[in-house]
Formats: sequence, structure tokens, C-alpha cells
Amino acid sequence: MPNNPTALTPYPVTITKIVDETSDVKTFTVEFDDPEVMENFGNKPGQVCMLSIFGEGESTISITSAPTRGKFLEFTVKRVGRLTNVMHQMEVGQKFGVRGPYGNWFPYEIMKGKDLFFVGGGFALAPIRSLIDYALSDQYRSDYGKVEVLYGARSVDDLCFKSDLAERWPKLHNTAIYTTIDRPEEAWKGHVGFVPSYVEEVAPSPENKFAIIAGPPIMIKFTLPVFAKLGFKDDQIITTLEMRMKCCLGKCGRCNIGSKFVCVDGPVFSLAQLKGMPQEY
Amino acid sequence: MEARVVNKGQLPELLDKLAKDYDLIAPVQEETVVLFRKISGAADAFLEYTNSDVSPKGCFLPQNEKTFNYTYTGDSIEINKPEGAQKAVLFGARPCDIKAITTLDPVFEGEKFGDEYYSGKRENTVIIGLSCTKVLSTCFCYAFEGGPCDGTGSDLLFTEIGDKYYVEVNTEKGKALADAYSQIFSSQGAEQLAKDKEELAKKLAGEFVRKVDLTGVKELLDNNFELPYWNGDDQKKCLGCGTCTYVCPTCHCFDIFDYPTGDFTGARLRCWDSCMYPEYTLMAGGHNPRPTRKERVRNRFMHKLKYHLDRYNMVGCVGCGRCVRKCPVNIDITKIINDLKEVAQNA
Ligand SMILES: Cc1cc2nc3c(=O)[nH]c(=O)nc-3n(C[C@H](O)[C@H](O)[C@H](O)COP(=O)(O)OP(=O)(O)OC[C@H]3O[C@@H](n4cnc5c(N)ncnc54)[C@H](O)[C@@H]3O)c2cc1C
Ligand code: SF4
Ligand code: SF4
Ligand code: FES
Repeated sequence: MPNNPTALTPYPVTITKIVDETSDVKTFTVEFDDPEVMENFGNKPGQVCMLSIFGEGESTISITSAPTRGKFLEFTVKRVGRLTNVMHQMEVGQKFGVRGPYGNWFPYEIMKGKDLFFVGGGFALAPIRSLIDYALSDQYRSDYGKVEVLYGARSVDDLCFKSDLAERWPKLHNTAIYTTIDRPEEAWKGHVGFVPSYVEEVAPSPENKFAIIAGPPIMIKFTLPVFAKLGFKDDQIITTLEMRMKCCLGKCGRCNIGSKFVCVDGPVFSLAQLKGMPQEY
Repeated sequence: MEARVVNKGQLPELLDKLAKDYDLIAPVQEETVVLFRKISGAADAFLEYTNSDVSPKGCFLPQNEKTFNYTYTGDSIEINKPEGAQKAVLFGARPCDIKAITTLDPVFEGEKFGDEYYSGKRENTVIIGLSCTKVLSTCFCYAFEGGPCDGTGSDLLFTEIGDKYYVEVNTEKGKALADAYSQIFSSQGAEQLAKDKEELAKKLAGEFVRKVDLTGVKELLDNNFELPYWNGDDQKKCLGCGTCTYVCPTCHCFDIFDYPTGDFTGARLRCWDSCMYPEYTLMAGGHNPRPTRKERVRNRFMHKLKYHLDRYNMVGCVGCGRCVRKCPVNIDITKIINDLKEVAQNA
């Protein structure tokens, strides 16, 4: 490495694996070229990185892997614009840049001893997947109670993390996985319906439990009242926010909601915290 | 506090010497615009101004700044950062603009992450302020506890009194510079000039035209994000031109992007951005948390009057009056402050 990267300069990484999740979502596994960087990275579940695609600039992407899974990072990227388009054309063995980790993290210390009920919609399971795997890791499994994941996508083709949902997680101790798609499909034997109504059906009890929700704004909007109806308090409901970001350092200004910068004070907020902030996100 | 005296007649000599020993940044006049840039000697400097069109914030946060050059081939990455900051002197900045720099410091130097580009320049620069000798009709620095002769944030503060400059030595950095040019910085007659300066400050304090009263404004904004006031026509006439943010010495928003220079090479740049542009918060997929002028105008003024205070316990406006002078549709922060004060009173 020619330089010692600091705040605005990225560390080189090499892509070691690419999984096609859907037609427009890919998961990239990467390793730092300098293994020492990984040793000192210290990423916590819920944090994000700035990915550098040279020639295109940078994008904020959640770390979707848990630090407990190994000396690599995973990023699940939806193709939506310039940078993500170029990224989707990259191949195993190619390099890009990563700086981070940024932002706060899920309150996994406070969650100790509790059951965790995860809700994810579309590819937005990505930011909470890190916490799911953290809580399910050999190292920390005994710190948490039952781990449930309720996940929905528009169609079978839109389901991300299929092997986690169908194979890896259900086999682990004290888990329950609920998967749904919006409309019936011939080959689909599972649940059909929208996420909010499926939550109502599964009806998790609020007792000794945290609900962790990530998904498109519309899904979140209709899911929150369901949890309220089930008796969840605002500080038992945790979600992550998205704002346009450039620096991730609390300096470029654009990700503010009132006096808070989502890039340093977020992206993880409890519903109780959100209710104390301007509705400008 | 120590003080020195510099004969006005010796200022050219001082500036020429500084230009030789440092990167000397000073006010210059280009066409009709007064701005700050590096000069090669006293002849380039333009000190007969009251408030420059462009503030000196660019000394520390340049309008365009290269953070690194890259060479990228797909399977190799090389990153080369530009050389560190040179030793510099910022001469002739006005008190409001220097205070503004102190409000940028916690943004770039504070909290979790530093900023080597900003701090490198900040640490290597001696700031020599220049007191105002008159106030403009748009000035209102007094409203934020500033003043035309206030030395906050400067290493040395020059105040013009007759054929002399009274020089306040405010930091060790300033003292070291004054000591290094001891043949120009004398100590004789400083006591009398100190009194003269106080007189000048008192006189100028009475000359402000704009009465700005912040009573109750912060509290109002603390408790009310939604105010019918922001729906007013006056607030909605903003053109989104971004002028107010570019000229504002406390605005620090920037964009980061790549500028390819060849098939495999390019530079990463950061450049000033403006919260008044709709694209500023527009996300891929089309969602925009501040979709209309109303939200953007509100955000700018909330930032100045509340958010910056909440975060850094420092005002986000120093009353330089630039946005008041430059806005093409006369959106006026002093009017907004006074209006909000009334809203607070009637609440
Ligand atoms: C906290 C956080 C976590 C995220 N996690 C993921 C993730 O795990 N996977 C994923 O695919 N996407 C994620 N995003 C969204 C992702 O950052 C944008 O989709 C991406 O930057 C779009 O870049 P583009 O160049 O392809 O799009 P363009 O529309 O061409 O965007 C141009 C530039 O604008 C900025 N930008 C545009 N949209 C966004 C946005 N929604 N958020 C932040 N910056 C934006 C970026 O700097 C981008 O390079 C996350 C965003 C945030 C804020
Ligand atoms: S908001 Fe206007 S008056 Fe206040 S510091 Fe910025 S440009 Fe000057
Ligand atoms: S200068 Fe005036 S018109 Fe232009 S963005 Fe600022 S407030 Fe709007
Ligand atoms: S992304 Fe720059 S301040 Fe948050």
C-alpha cells in the first residue's frame, strides 16, 4: 500500500465471491489486501462502509456479514444507478476500495437475554443480516433467546439470501424463519401475502423481545402499527434509516435529520428516538 | 495580553516578507469581486474592503480540492495523496470570517473523525485578522457576540488607527510570527493605541443599521419543526441558486466525486455543495426527504439558528451579511430571525 489510508482514502479489497441474489441484487464477498486492516477494522453489526468504485465515486453500503463469520466483509448491492451499475459488472479477483466502518450499530449489548424478531423486506434484509448472524454465532448464541426472521419479497425471483433462509438459519438452534411473497406463484409452497399482515398472523408477543425492522419505507410504514397493536413499546422497535450520503463522517452535511447526522448518529434508531426527531426522512 | 505596533508605512515590507517566507493569502480585487487568494507581494493585496464577496473559508476548505489521485486497472489500485499543507499566513481576514472558521473547526476536527486536509492547512496557517473600520448596512455580527474589532480565532489582530496598526497578539503562534519580524512589530505606543481601539470598537458598535434580536428564536425552533411560517411566500420564492451557501463563511457542505483523467487514472475531488439544490438529498430510486423549497429553506435557516448550536454549541451564523447582500430574491436572514422572534412572542 502506497499510503496509510485515513478518513477519506479507501483501503483496497479484492472480490473473492459474488452471489447473484436476484436479477438486480448481488452479494460481494471481499477481503482486504492488507490483512492487518481486517484485524483492526472492528465492524459491529449494523455499520456501513463507503465503497470506492474508481471513476464513479463512492456509495454507502451496509456490511451484511457479521464480524463473527470470518475475516471478510459482505456487501449486498442493488443495481440502481451509476456506481452500482459498474459494480454489478465486476468479477471475482477484481478490486475496489473500502473505507469504514461507519455509523452506530444495533444495541446488541442491550439486547442480551432477549428474543429477537427480525422483519425484512426485499433486499433490505441486508443491514439486519449482520445482527442475525451475530446472534446466531457459536460465540454469542447463548446471549440471546429465540431468533425469528420474517422476510418478504415481491416474488420468488426477488427473494434474497435464499440459502440463509431455506438452509442455514432454519437448521440452527431455537430459530424460526417465515418467508412470504406478495402474490401466489405456481412453484411456491410457502406463505403468500404482504409483510405487515404476515406479522399480524405470526403475532409475536412483545414480552422480553426486540423487533428489528428493515425494508422499503412503505413496508415499514404499515408494519410499525402492527407491532404497536401487538403491544410492542417504541423502544423495543429498532430500524435503520437511509439518507443520501457522501462522507459518512458527519462533515458533508447532507444526511441530517434535524441536528442528527444519520451517518454518525445512525443509521440505527429505535422508534422512540425517531419519534423525537423531525419527520424529514 | 501582549500587543505590538506596526507603522502603516511598513505594511508593504511586512507583506513582501511574508510572501517570501510563507504562502501568503490575502484579499485581492479581481474585476469587481473581492476574494482571497495566494499573493506574491504587497502590490497584489487589496485592503480597502469591508466585507469580501467571497469569504476566506476556502483557505481551509477549498471550493475544489483533490483528496487523492488514483490509478486503477481493475486488479490493481494505487492511491497517491497530494503533498501536505505548506506553511501559510492568512492576512487581512475580517473578524466575522475568522469567527466563522472557529465554527468550522469542530466539524472537521471534532467528534469521531478528523480531516487531515482541513487540519493540515489549519495547523500550518497563521491567521492575521484585520478589524473593520466601518460597518455595512447588512452587517450584524454583534447579534452573535461578535464585533468589528473582535479578535476571536485570530492569531494576530491588526486594527488600523491613524498611521499605525495596533496589533493584538492572541496566540503563541501569533507571538512567534511577530517575534520573527521584530524589526516591524514594535512595542512602542501600544498602550495609547489600545485605548484608541476601544474607542473605535465602541463607535462602530453604535453604527449597525440592522436590528437583529434572537430572543426566543432558538427555543421556538427547538420546540417546533413544523411552523406555518415556513409556508410563507417569502420563504418559497427561493430560486435554489445556491449563492447564499457558497458565499457563507460557515457553510461547509461538500460533494465527493471522481474525475477520470485517463483510462486508468483519475482524481477524487471534493467540492462545495449546496443544501439549496434539490439533488443534494435526492436518493437513487427518486425519494427526496427535502423535496421542495420550503424544506430546503427551512433546513438552511434551522442549521444556522439551531442545528449547529445543538451539535457544537456554536452559532451557525456570524452575521457577515453576505447572503443578505447576494440573494437575488432578497431572502434575508435578519428578517427571518426577527419574524421568528415575533412568532415566538405571539405563541
Ligand atoms: C446507511 C445506508 C445503507 C445502505 N445500504 C445499502 C446496501 O446495503 N445495499 C445497497 O444496494 N444500497 C444501500 N444503500 C443505498 C446506496 O447507497 C445507494 O443505492 C447507492 O449509493 C446508489 O448509487 P448509484 O451511483 O448507483 O446511484 P446514483 O443515483 O447514480 O447516485 C449517485 C450518488 O448519489 C449517492 N446516493 C444516491 N442514492 C443514495 C442513497 N439511497 N443513499 C446514499 N447515497 C446515495 C451516492 O453517493 C451515489 O454514488 C444504503 C444507503 C445508506 C444511506
Ligand atoms: S448565514 Fe448569511 S449572514 Fe450568516 S454567516 Fe452565512 S452568509 Fe453570513
Ligand atoms: S441566494 Fe437566495 S435564491 Fe439563491 S439559494 Fe440562497 S436563498 Fe435561495
Ligand atoms: S454523509 Fe456526510 S454528513 Fe453524513
